[in-house]
Amino acid sequence: MINKLKIATATVLLGVTAAFPALADDSKIVVGFATAESGFMEAYDKPATDAALIRIDEINAAGGLLGKKIEVVKADTKSDRAEGAKAGLSVLDQGADLVVVSCDYDFGSPAALAAEAAGKVSFFLCAESVKAGIQGVGPHSFSASVLAAVQGATMAEWAYNKKQAKTFYRLLDSWTEYNKGICDGFDWMMPKLETKGAKLVGQDTFKNDDPSIAAQISRIKALPKEPDAIMLCTMMPGGVSAIKQIRAAGINSMILNGSGMDGSYWLSAVPDLSNFYVPVQGSIYGDDPNPEVTKFNAAYKAKTGGDPSSMYVYPGYVMIDVWAKAVERAKSIDADAVVAELEKMKNEPTLFGPRTFTSELHHQNQTKYLVADTEKGKPAIIDSWTISEPIPLDALLK
Amino acid sequence: MLQILFDALSLGSLYALGALGIALIFGVMRLVNFAHGDVIAFCVFALLWPSTDAMAIVFAGQLPWYLLVPFVLFCGAGLSVLCEIVVFRRFRNANPATMMIASFALGFVIRYFLLMLFSSRPKSINLLPELSQPVEIFGARLPLLQLITIIATMLILIGLTVFLRRTRFGLEMRAAAENFSMARMLGVRANRVIMGAFALSGALAGAIALIFVAQTGTADIQMGAAIMLMAFIATVIGGLGSLAGAVLAGFLLGAASVVMQVMLPIDARPFRDAFVYGAVILVLLFRPQGLISARGTKERV
Repeated sequence: MINKLKIATATVLLGVTAAFPALADDSKIVVGFATAESGFMEAYDKPATDAALIRIDEINAAGGLLGKKIEVVKADTKSDRAEGAKAGLSVLDQGADLVVVSCDYDFGSPAALAAEAAGKVSFFLCAESVKAGIQGVGPHSFSASVLAAVQGATMAEWAYNKKQAKTFYRLLDSWTEYNKGICDGFDWMMPKLETKGAKLVGQDTFKNDDPSIAAQISRIKALPKEPDAIMLCTMMPGGVSAIKQIRAAGINSMILNGSGMDGSYWLSAVPDLSNFYVPVQGSIYGDDPNPEVTKFNAAYKAKTGGDPSSMYVYPGYVMIDVWAKAVERAKSIDADAVVAELEKMKNEPTLFGPRTFTSELHHQNQTKYLVADTEKGKPAIIDSWTISEPIPLDALLK
Repeated sequence: MLQILFDALSLGSLYALGALGIALIFGVMRLVNFAHGDVIAFCVFALLWPSTDAMAIVFAGQLPWYLLVPFVLFCGAGLSVLCEIVVFRRFRNANPATMMIASFALGFVIRYFLLMLFSSRPKSINLLPELSQPVEIFGARLPLLQLITIIATMLILIGLTVFLRRTRFGLEMRAAAENFSMARMLGVRANRVIMGAFALSGALAGAIALIFVAQTGTADIQMGAAIMLMAFIATVIGGLGSLAGAVLAGFLLGAASVVMQVMLPIDARPFRDAFVYGAVILVLLFRPQGLISARGTKERV
């Protein structure tokens, strides 16, 4: 009996404490990070989280949002999907008005679904699958990055127009949805280029953890002529291995990849790599055409003690930026009002390229990319490109 | 055609070395050592200075090759022997399933130790860059490394055969593999033989690590898992406990993998491994005891 009483009291107390933050909401706006602070995903979540915190600091320093300070609460997903759902609930319990979730769709969706169920806005830090948004979570979910398909399409169209690439070879690493997404975009763009004289001369697949892709390379070498460009749809760590083996076999075609291979930290594995191109949202190399980006890089270094290691830092900043603008315009933190304002954004300028959200797609299916070219082991921005038309939804959901 | 042969041999070499490392320990202890893959990963990370930065700080990896190779082999052997002394020795009389679970646990410990020191981010290093250039043999163009892998594997296999057949230690090891308690009664010192097997197996892990890093330029804490799986399958179809069988099956698996990649139509290629495993099931249906069954295991089953 006494035990039952104790439990009842405890339950009531718990209920009160859980309800309390909701009451205290008026004086501040809460952004909850249900991201990985430990384990496998931490290396990917932390840089973008730091960038988001920089934007929050800037907003707070400028007087806050709707006159209120933004407060940050965090819960660690421990790089685990079940823990992700708990982390989502935890930041919601702490009164989060915006729930920020892991970079990857699979790891971020449990927390995003928790936010959706509570009727709150959620943002994937940098997921590039079309599922990270309305299609995979619900109408209050967004992603701060750009669809993987746009990266593949951008590189193909750019190489054809700017590098006179006529013959393409498609090499897909079938490991992740992200990799397939890049090649989906390439597949959507290729027929358009073929009507103008380009040609797909061959294709093959490999697996990210294949210790050797010798058989795939032999197939490329068996072509009558080396292709102008190899569309390599892959990511770390197998991507490095693939590039190293392609070059070690003496194939010098230009290699096109997605943003996943941006960064100079892996270039030591392939010394003097040349003719290698990736699309990026901003330059970590200090040569961005927009001087504000270089300023941001300095702010990032001041906050974290290191330079950004890849462009996947930037979406975190973009995320808070567009969300805060929508809150200002809605003059409210009500989720539906904020979503309505976000969906009105059409080519909204941000530090890292324009952003558009519609009631059908909370992701970017066409945006400006910078092109980073690596020559003799040194990456630099050489161009920028926007695909000629947005990628339609049915090509994305293929 | 020749190109395919070389591709198959070089991939098969990796699997054969891995399978040999597992078969050696299984032979003397009836232990399927699932920590073997993580020993490989450990050997790779031994080349780096611990840091969680994205950029790898190459430390031991800068040694000249004649110091580098012994260093990595020694790292593998050392860790492997340490595992034996700290963990497996206490399970000497446990049943094989218990030992297998212990090896899983040990693998996790090694992996998370590396995660703690190096973070989950894959690191890049350029090991022995002079090997990354193409050479031409009989009209087939292949990276020098591929050739060296094949030659080194052959040398290791020949060396190991001589060691097992011609030395006293090798004799003891073979005796232990065949009938452990009988060998003990005849004066073979168990701890010495088992430790020797672990040291050899660890050194083989080191050899795989070297080839792997030189080939891929990547250090990843999960990198051992894929090779471990293939190597384990090779030891099973080779006949558990049979060293020759493990090597043969390793080469066969490599060949099957390469041939499938070449022959399959593009739409089926992402499922290459499914076809390879299908072939494995077929082999086991017809020869459940493995291609070359070890004498020691036959009577026990």
